[in-house]
Amino acid sequence: MRVPLDWLRELVAIEVPPEALVQRLPMLGLGSEGIDRVGDEPVLDLETAANRPDLLSILGVAREIAAAWRLEVRPPAISLSEGPTPASDAADVTIEDPIWCPRYTAHVITGVRVGPSPAWMVRRLEAAGIRSVSNIVDVTNYVMLEQGEPLHAFDLDGLRGRRIEVRRARAGEPLVTLDGVARTLDPEMLVIADAARAVALAGVMGGGDSEISAGTTRVLLEAAAFDGAQVRRTSRRLGLRTESSVRFERGVDPRIVLDAARRAAALIVEVGGGEVLAGVIDRYPAPARAPQIALRLARIPRLLGVEVPADEVEAILRRLGCALEPASDGFTVTAPPGRLDLQREEDLIEEVARHYGYDRLPETTPVAATQAGSRAESLESQDAARDVLIRAGLSEAVTLSLISPGVFDRLGLPPEDGRRRAVTLLNPLLSDHTHLRTMILPGLLEATRVNLSRRIEDVHLFEIGRTFHLSVSAASSRRSAGTPSPPPEGPAGAAGIAERRTLGVAMRGRLRHGWNVGAEAAEITFFDLKGVLEALWSELRVAPETIAAEPAAHPWLHPGRSARLLLGGQEIGVLGELHPGAAQRFDLTGRVYAAEIDLDAILPHATLRRRFVPLPRHPAVERDLALFVPTAVPQSQVLHVIAEAGGTLLEAAELFDVYEGAQAPAGRRSLAYALRFRAADRTLTGDEVDGVMAAIHRALETELDARPRT
Amino acid sequence: MRDDITQLREEAERDLRAARTPEALEELRLRYLGRRGKISAMFEELASMPPGERAAVGAALNEAQAFIKGQFETVKTQIALAGREAQLEAERIDVTLPGLRRALGRRHILNQSIQRVQDIFIRMGFELVEGTEIETDQYNFERLNIPRDHPARDDQDTFYITEELLLRTQTTAVDAHVLRERRPPMRILTAGRCYRRDVVDATHMPVFHQVDGFMVGEGITFADLKGTLAAFAREMFGPQTRTRFQPGYFPFTEPSAEVAVEYGDGWLELAGCGMFHPRVLEFAGIDPERCTAFAFGGFGDRPAMVRYGIPDIRLFWENDLRMLAQF
Repeated sequence: MRVPLDWLRELVAIEVPPEALVQRLPMLGLGSEGIDRVGDEPVLDLETAANRPDLLSILGVAREIAAAWRLEVRPPAISLSEGPTPASDAADVTIEDPIWCPRYTAHVITGVRVGPSPAWMVRRLEAAGIRSVSNIVDVTNYVMLEQGEPLHAFDLDGLRGRRIEVRRARAGEPLVTLDGVARTLDPEMLVIADAARAVALAGVMGGGDSEISAGTTRVLLEAAAFDGAQVRRTSRRLGLRTESSVRFERGVDPRIVLDAARRAAALIVEVGGGEVLAGVIDRYPAPARAPQIALRLARIPRLLGVEVPADEVEAILRRLGCALEPASDGFTVTAPPGRLDLQREEDLIEEVARHYGYDRLPETTPVAATQAGSRAESLESQDAARDVLIRAGLSEAVTLSLISPGVFDRLGLPPEDGRRRAVTLLNPLLSDHTHLRTMILPGLLEATRVNLSRRIEDVHLFEIGRTFHLSVSAASSRRSAGTPSPPPEGPAGAAGIAERRTLGVAMRGRLRHGWNVGAEAAEITFFDLKGVLEALWSELRVAPETIAAEPAAHPWLHPGRSARLLLGGQEIGVLGELHPGAAQRFDLTGRVYAAEIDLDAILPHATLRRRFVPLPRHPAVERDLALFVPTAVPQSQVLHVIAEAGGTLLEAAELFDVYEGAQAPAGRRSLAYALRFRAADRTLTGDEVDGVMAAIHRALETELDARPRT
Repeated sequence: MRDDITQLREEAERDLRAARTPEALEELRLRYLGRRGKISAMFEELASMPPGERAAVGAALNEAQAFIKGQFETVKTQIALAGREAQLEAERIDVTLPGLRRALGRRHILNQSIQRVQDIFIRMGFELVEGTEIETDQYNFERLNIPRDHPARDDQDTFYITEELLLRTQTTAVDAHVLRERRPPMRILTAGRCYRRDVVDATHMPVFHQVDGFMVGEGITFADLKGTLAAFAREMFGPQTRTRFQPGYFPFTEPSAEVAVEYGDGWLELAGCGMFHPRVLEFAGIDPERCTAFAFGGFGDRPAMVRYGIPDIRLFWENDLRMLAQF
């Protein structure tokens, strides 16, 4: 709201310099954008709250300032002399929808001469940001700025039947608004109509056919109250925001209508000549009664934490224009016209607090019993996961959750891939942000690209965030593609949308840096990524089951270097080397390793509360196990057989060598393990271990055709 | 013979002193102490001596042997030490060469900042809970006293998914859930992503972060709100930090305020806050006559930008590792 200082000073004798004014106003809740100047005249640019329609008027701002500086408001004197002819002979008004239009008044002014406005009015309007049109139209704007009541002037001779009907628009009813746009209306919109057609969009904008023109001599001046929600809906649906609609949206009190109308009628005569016909046509089927609000003095310290003396409470509210009646426990308060925001006791207490001064309210510590703070377990385990990844050398990224389906094309997902079933926004703002992400990875790949383009070649990123999945129709295809379909919960679930906590990882380049570290040798591999994930499971103590990896093809991953991760037989994620096609489409050079994990499936299995496990008291026996294994046998099977056959005495089996080549028999590769045996209660003998080793060899031989390397 | 022994002693001592290498020393050991060495030879000679002299000369010879052995050991140690020193000298490196490093990961600066905010409130006894990013109009707006067609919705231009489902515009939506599901007293904290249809520029992204909290119980006041947030600010920004509360407007609080801390030459806007509007409590089935509540929300991207001197909000989302590594 732009407030020219000289206009403000006409309504309240505030002498403080504008700089001081602007500094103090925020303490009243009137934010300031600063002081503007139009010519020499300072103009305050104020930010006003959406519940304060009164502050969209100079008079309202003057009232607030008067209350704060303990001054008198000087509302403009209205002296309206009326001619003998009754207005009701010249026009008629009916309200068909009193909910959407609780009050409609019309003054009729005859014999006006349309022309330019006087210079003072033009200057003030322009300082306030409104262009001068003509004396009659300018008066309606001037009074709107002054009083907060939007007004409209019709050329009475442009109104068929010389009557006004306030009614819902008919379906398909046309109206050319003052901005020259032809609009098609519907019954969800309120119009001002004459006997034949709509002539204005109530509270939003007038129509061209009835507008004031150079030849207008008879004016019907509308001052009305319209339902804020209705005006807001219409204004938003038509994309038509006006000075009028902005004010009606916030709520215009029917009680301020008549003063504004009389002020405008008098001004029209002053600047345009003519005569106001006798009486006002005032349709007000259910006059609004100001709410009587009980204000209990005891409630003030309960809310504010400080006693405000009764006389100070009374003085503050009176200065704001409230009427107060003493009551047994406080006051009965009637809000002044225009203050539709004052409805309840709390509203009054806020007024008291504002003018008492927020800075004068004490700072106390809540007396409620102290309690230990805590985190939800899901957040604790999420944090634990994050910490492991950071310790593993990865940096956390934050990427947008709004995407476009183009990222799925870049990944190379086939059309039927479940990951394409993304939640669509009804009202996106940008073509890049039309859907919610179903995967974290594309954001990480984009971040990798940004880094690479800036010659940062070692990029190890992860992100833990929400992904959104259409689960109903998508369930079957998505299971094959990755994420399990969770049970739907709440309204989002009912709409078939699941929100999951997901981990994405993208790694490229080296984890170790330095001179004489060969770039080739230091370059990470699939197994570096897998190692990071294994560290994650083991640090989280995912129990009781372990997470297994098995080969699986994914369209966006290298077909020979991709795996799915299984927890208790359920797929919980994928990892692998990014498919060169996808890498190319994301502008990535080199080999990129990526994983996408459903954390919500894993974190519930994490063990966050730890207990000490006694360190072993008896020495271990170590043996190496070197094998030639048929190439087709996955290592995981070998390990599984070793573990089964090793029984409880086998404490660990660590793979330390893998060899495929000329030294190995055809169709076989060599695997070598370091085995560690230990008993909790005694020192193992060599014979015992030999027995277990023999059992392991037997099992390997019979189950996998794996032979000892000799 | 006695003279020979004395001479041998002296000769051996001289030779051993001159030895510099393990090889030379070994040669001397063989020469004097070996099975065919000079001591052995003299012991053989001893056998041919008259028995009367044998004892005394034998003793002298034994003593000489012990002496030479002792000398030998001393020299051996010296040579070993000298050898090790030489080796250490040969192993000298240029300690000014740079160290070899492993990549260190780190938390994103935005999350570091949010984490700090959370930790302080948790120390004050708040319980951190989670909500969903997809919300209903009901919880994001209606239950927070922002009915449809309320002009306050202008400040929170919303992404809708269906008529009823939307992307939460404020973490306060989580408050509405907790208020309904649990009973006072409670101190609840929540943090996460929020979404608004804001055009991307240096200070706006359609996705941003908030930390939101409330305390509800009997006798909770605006003064408690001021005290709690002032204590937070001192913990976050230092013990001398001054806070400022100015009237604000949020449909779900009454009275409402904006809290800022003195920062550098100006004020840093931290959060919006206030006492929960009685209607918000009523919606949750809490009697506003008995219980009062304060609430606050903010502390997200914009305060972090000011605090860390980050000029453009888009830098948070680029994930340039050079930027992330600064924090």
